[in-house]
Formats: sequence, C-alpha cells, structure tokens
Amino acid sequence: MAFANAFYNTIAKRNSVFVTSIFAGAFAFNVGFDVAVTNFWDRWNQGKQWKDIRSRYVEASDS
Amino acid sequence: MASYAIRKSINLAPTVRALPNGIPSAPRLNLVARAPSDGHGHGAAGPRADVPTRLTGTVTSPSVGLVSKTFVAPPPTTHLHQRLIHTSVAVKDAPQVPDFTPYTPKDETTNRAMSYFMVGSLGVLSASVAQSTITGFLETMAASADVLALAKTEVELASIPEGKNVIIKWRGKPVFIRHRTPDEIEEARTVDLKALRDPQRDEDRVKKPEWLVMLGVCTHLGCVPIGESGDYGGWFCPCHGSHYDISGRARKGPAPLNLEIPPYDFNDAEGKLVVG
Repeated sequence: MAFANAFYNTIAKRNSVFVTSIFAGAFAFNVGFDVAVTNFWDRWNQGKQWKDIRSRYVEASDS
Repeated sequence: MASYAIRKSINLAPTVRALPNGIPSAPRLNLVARAPSDGHGHGAAGPRADVPTRLTGTVTSPSVGLVSKTFVAPPPTTHLHQRLIHTSVAVKDAPQVPDFTPYTPKDETTNRAMSYFMVGSLGVLSASVAQSTITGFLETMAASADVLALAKTEVELASIPEGKNVIIKWRGKPVFIRHRTPDEIEEARTVDLKALRDPQRDEDRVKKPEWLVMLGVCTHLGCVPIGESGDYGGWFCPCHGSHYDISGRARKGPAPLNLEIPPYDFNDAEGKLVVG
C-alpha cells in the first residue's frame, strides 16, 4: 500500500508528469525490448551469422 | 344476528369480452387471489384482510331485512393491469438486485495506484508500438544500403603523383582528379575572368589548390574530354572541339559552362579523397 501510494503521489498525480513518464518508459521499453530480442536472436542463431564465422574466412584469405 | 359468509376480497381478471348481461367474462375467476408479496416488508399486498373493503361489497342490516351489495367489477387495488389469465411467466415487478457491498472499495486509495498503473502500462506499450510503426515507415523512404554504398567513392591521394590525371568512376560518371603543379595553380589563378565564357575564380572551384576534382562530362553534349590536351593545357573534348583550361573552365568551342564540380571531401587522417 505504501508503494502504491508513493507511485500515485510521484507519478500519477500530475498529468504532465504521468504523460512524460509514459513517453520515457516507452523509450526505455523500446531500447530494452530491442536489446532483449537481439540477444535472443544471436543466441538462437549461434554460429550461423556472418559475424560468428567471419574469422574463418578473413584469416584464410589473409586480407 | 345470523352469521353470513362474507367474501373479504374479490379480484376479477381483466377480460376482453363481456357477457350478454354486461358482466365481464371471467370464466376462471379466482376469488382468493392476492397480489404477490414484493419482499419490501410492507406485509402482504392487496386489500386489508381484517375488514371487508367497500370496493368488493358490503353487507348492511338496516331496520328492515338484510341488504348485501356486491360489485362485480371492482377497480384493481394493486398491481394495475396484472394479467392473471395468460400463459407466459409473470414478470416480477422488482427483480432481485444482488448485493454488491463486498465488492465496493473501502476507500478511494484502494485500487487507485493499480488503475493508474494499468493505464500507464497501456500508454507505454501504445507509444512504443506507434514509435516502431512510424520508424519502420520512415525507414522505407531512406536510401537502401546498396545505394549508399555506391554513392561514395574513395581515392588514395598518395598514389597520384604531381602533374598527373586520374579518372575514377563515381555514380556511373567519370570524375577527373588532377594533382596540379604550382605552375599550373599559378596559371589558373592569373586568368583574366572577363575573358571567360562562364566566369568563375579558380579559388571557388577547388578546396585545396593542388587538387582539382571535377566531373569528366563535357557540358556541351556529355562526351568525356581528354586530359592534358587542348589549346589551354587542360582538357579537350574530341566530339565537338571544346577546350578547357587547367581549372576545368570552358575556354573555346561549343561548351557553354565550366566542368561541373562534384561534392567531395578530404580525409586528411587517411590521406584519402571521398567523392560524394
């Protein structure tokens, strides 16, 4: 209850603060979601992407 | 006094038909019917049970004989237009309302933060989705990677000795790069501008005096001029005989304008020229 009241008093009480924090949260969520999905993608496709296998070919051609 | 059976109440069903003697047709008249209790604690509905009403009939004993009056069609006392003779289920006048007291919040702060949190979460998700949608749409209008890769060309400046021309390809067109000698720079800067067809100072045509970079397309009809030839020591277009000087300015022949200067930049750290 104390936490809920603190949330209401700091964020939700003034609409300007509420909307601003919504946009800030959207930005943070965007970044976090992107990082999470990219990490998952890289882990899922481990060893299949160019950045994983680049060392084999660049060393072989020596250029 | 002799006792008489007195009907305390009478309730005639509404009818649509009247008998020939004027009495409404009531074949299933229920003489003991009462209006159903509505559960509001006012006791049984209907006429009072302890005294006979004036509406249903009276029994009086005047001085002579006994007079009994009976109204055959008393006005309804309760539940106006209650239909007693029909086949559908009777509609309750006041349906029972559930008790919501256990669900009402104890005070206004009980669910307030949760409600705002849900609203805010929806706002965060919607804003994020909207931002992604707009970004994705705008990205479709940007140049694709292959176009961007073709749009710039890099040249190693150290590989061009003084007094030499280099022709590179940039966006499908030839680009002349000349490493000019101090004599050529001097020559290009001392030309009388009034004698030029398209007056332009040499300082405006180069970023560094020793490097002249221009599009190798003749301004007349688009041939590629030949370097280090012509009457002015610059370029000569073999198609129609236009002469350009050492700054790429049109001096003689049909060419109306100076050779065009593409956008370019010097990368001093790596000693490179970036065209585009």
